[in-house]
Amino acid sequence: MSQFLTFHFWPLYERTISVNLVKMKSQSSREYRGERLQSLTVRQARFVDAIAGRILPTTDTPGAIEAGAVFYIDRALAGPYRHLRSRYGRGLRALNQNAKARFGISFEKLSGEQQDSVLSDLESGKITEPRKGEEFFALLRTHVLEGVFGEPSYGGNRDLIGWKLVGFPGQQWGYPETYINKVVDLSPVTWEGLPKKPEQS
Amino acid sequence: MNEMTADVCIVGVGAVGGILAKQLTSAGLKVVALERGPALKTAEYAQRDSIRYIARPDQLEGVRHEPRIFRTSSSQPGMLRYGTSPFNVLGGSMLLWTGQASRFMPGDFKVYTNEVASGVADRAGVDLSAYDVVDWPIGYDDLEPYYERFEWEFGVAGVAGMNPFAGRRRKPYPLPPLKMTARMQLFGEAAKRLGYHPFIGPAAVTSEPYRPPAPYDTRIPERPACVYCGHCNHYGCHVNAKASSLHTAIPVALQTGNLDLRTGCKAAAITTDDGGQATGVKYFDPNGVLQEQRARVVILSAFVFEHVRLLLLSKGNGKHFKNGLANSSGLVGKCFFGHGDMRVYGLFDNFIINGFIGSGAAAMRIDDFNGNNFDHTGLGFIRGGTVGCSGDGTPVSRMDVVPPDVRSWGKEYKEYFMRYYTRTFDVHMAPETLPRRDNCIDLDSRRRDRWGLPLPRVTFAFHENEKRMHLFLADIGEQILREAGASRVWTELPRPAPTRQCGGTRMGADPKNSVVNGYCQSHDVPNLFIVGSSVFPTMSGYPATATISALAYRTAEYIEQQRDWFR
Repeated sequence: MSQFLTFHFWPLYERTISVNLVKMKSQSSREYRGERLQSLTVRQARFVDAIAGRILPTTDTPGAIEAGAVFYIDRALAGPYRHLRSRYGRGLRALNQNAKARFGISFEKLSGEQQDSVLSDLESGKITEPRKGEEFFALLRTHVLEGVFGEPSYGGNRDLIGWKLVGFPGQQWGYPETYINKVVDLSPVTWEGLPKKPEQS
Repeated sequence: MNEMTADVCIVGVGAVGGILAKQLTSAGLKVVALERGPALKTAEYAQRDSIRYIARPDQLEGVRHEPRIFRTSSSQPGMLRYGTSPFNVLGGSMLLWTGQASRFMPGDFKVYTNEVASGVADRAGVDLSAYDVVDWPIGYDDLEPYYERFEWEFGVAGVAGMNPFAGRRRKPYPLPPLKMTARMQLFGEAAKRLGYHPFIGPAAVTSEPYRPPAPYDTRIPERPACVYCGHCNHYGCHVNAKASSLHTAIPVALQTGNLDLRTGCKAAAITTDDGGQATGVKYFDPNGVLQEQRARVVILSAFVFEHVRLLLLSKGNGKHFKNGLANSSGLVGKCFFGHGDMRVYGLFDNFIINGFIGSGAAAMRIDDFNGNNFDHTGLGFIRGGTVGCSGDGTPVSRMDVVPPDVRSWGKEYKEYFMRYYTRTFDVHMAPETLPRRDNCIDLDSRRRDRWGLPLPRVTFAFHENEKRMHLFLADIGEQILREAGASRVWTELPRPAPTRQCGGTRMGADPKNSVVNGYCQSHDVPNLFIVGSSVFPTMSGYPATATISALAYRTAEYIEQQRDWFR
């Protein structure tokens, strides 16, 4: 927690939450939280966002929803993970059927505990459609966490939320020392472009 | 040059091919080098990007077109596998390696004599009848001068004399060790208290700006010092501190004017004449058109899978080489092996590790449980592995490191990862695997790559000797981490597929029992050389790079001396 305060996280957190609530109702058919989707339908995006919110939940600190993991997944499924689109489609459908069968309402409307319980069924393989449920769960978990902890250029890790959570200073050019038993007091940075020495060093 | 006969045609330009190209062109030979991947610029392979290199390595251009089939028994159809060994670009896997540059130990070359024939295996109580263990035809002393050349030309940082189990060396390392990290400090102190012999593992990462001095190759360009960014293992190095042939051997080879380097060219077969000599290489050019390069000498330096595939695909006119080229022993593809990499993880409540800082190769290690350095009586296995500290990585590399009793998602996971991402390190072990003929590579009869060539198919499983070794080493790792102060410790045993693959064209003195001789020269086809870890008869607890580089220097010297071949 002390690391959090170092990074002045709180104002940022408040802002992302409010954005989240206001923008959930999309305007156009392919818009979600004010952003145009590239591969998911709005309905799928809602599911994925809800799942992300259980895999890395919002607590007293932001989680996968604020980090925009859903947008990371949406972009990945439009590109390098496009071969997994039908798997997502079938898997999300199976998840929702399970939610309806057990609780009578759609997955994203369930309480957090109920969502966890449905996800646990997927994780343990109790939900079998389309193939092994545990494999689809592992895929979801991996993709959500990539969306939280990966480089923000892929659409997730908004405001470097993932890196701030765990105390990773990002794509630093290098480190002046090896910080043995010391908190690294550097703000996380991103790095893009040609590998030339930054001006400050 | 297409119509002309080259002195030498090299297939694959990574660590080995780069050294061969430099040495042979410098000796005045005309070399054509075929590399199936592109020549990348630093900005194209060194983005410090964990999504690209850790989450999606199978999407890399140098990986995605070259899968292999993997299965654990011959009754299975096998699964497609993608890996960065080989990384099919100019410079090869050396662009993405960690930089661990240890020499093999003297005993690693004589496992049959020292441990099977001598009775060590019997006293250990292991039945090795299903294994096929032979000595190397060469020893540590044969390679020592070439290890030295590798260390001084590629720039290895380390402390000579610190490891009591290492072979003798004529020269120290050219560079002082890299900066100490938290994991090195904790591992070293704990290992020492336990009575082991910790040493700083040699790293082919520049601790200072470096350019080789005379008598080594002073044409090699200077490289800057490591900046400790922590994007080492699986990443390209954005400052070129991590040694690669792309920034050492290859530019020198190009400068000679004797190298015709052809990137985007995929070898399809080795051509032969009626006398059973190699005449050149058939390859697909960047447009996918089949071409032929004639050469007096052909060298394969394209890694294990490609070596086996090319030999099995090269059947000549059907008279000499029905079972594939250089395969009168029937051993091409047999005795495939690698490390059963395993990790023990430790969480520290009283120490901040910051494992994302520093070079992955800069590790404190012990060799007390490597090779034949310890008493195996009653242990049920022979050999061992190097044991060292590890645990570098961005959050994407570390997000799956979760203790078995912590749920891997939800609030519990979030709290765990927030607390321990900066407070964990691993003991990494690279247990050796002994060779067996049923661990092998052949060609898949159905599945083909983008050039229409059959995919290599690996059949591999760990057996009794390895399984017992893995459990033994897990105990050592756990003991060290507890001694280092870890509050929680757990082990991850090896995954089914071996890493740092070796074997498939092993070297030996007896042509009936091996594919190449001690100069990596085919017993059957004297103007064909196969260089790389595929020639290892047995392994070591160490990665192969220093040893394959030493073999490349030694093979190049042997070829240069055959002046009558090139008249």
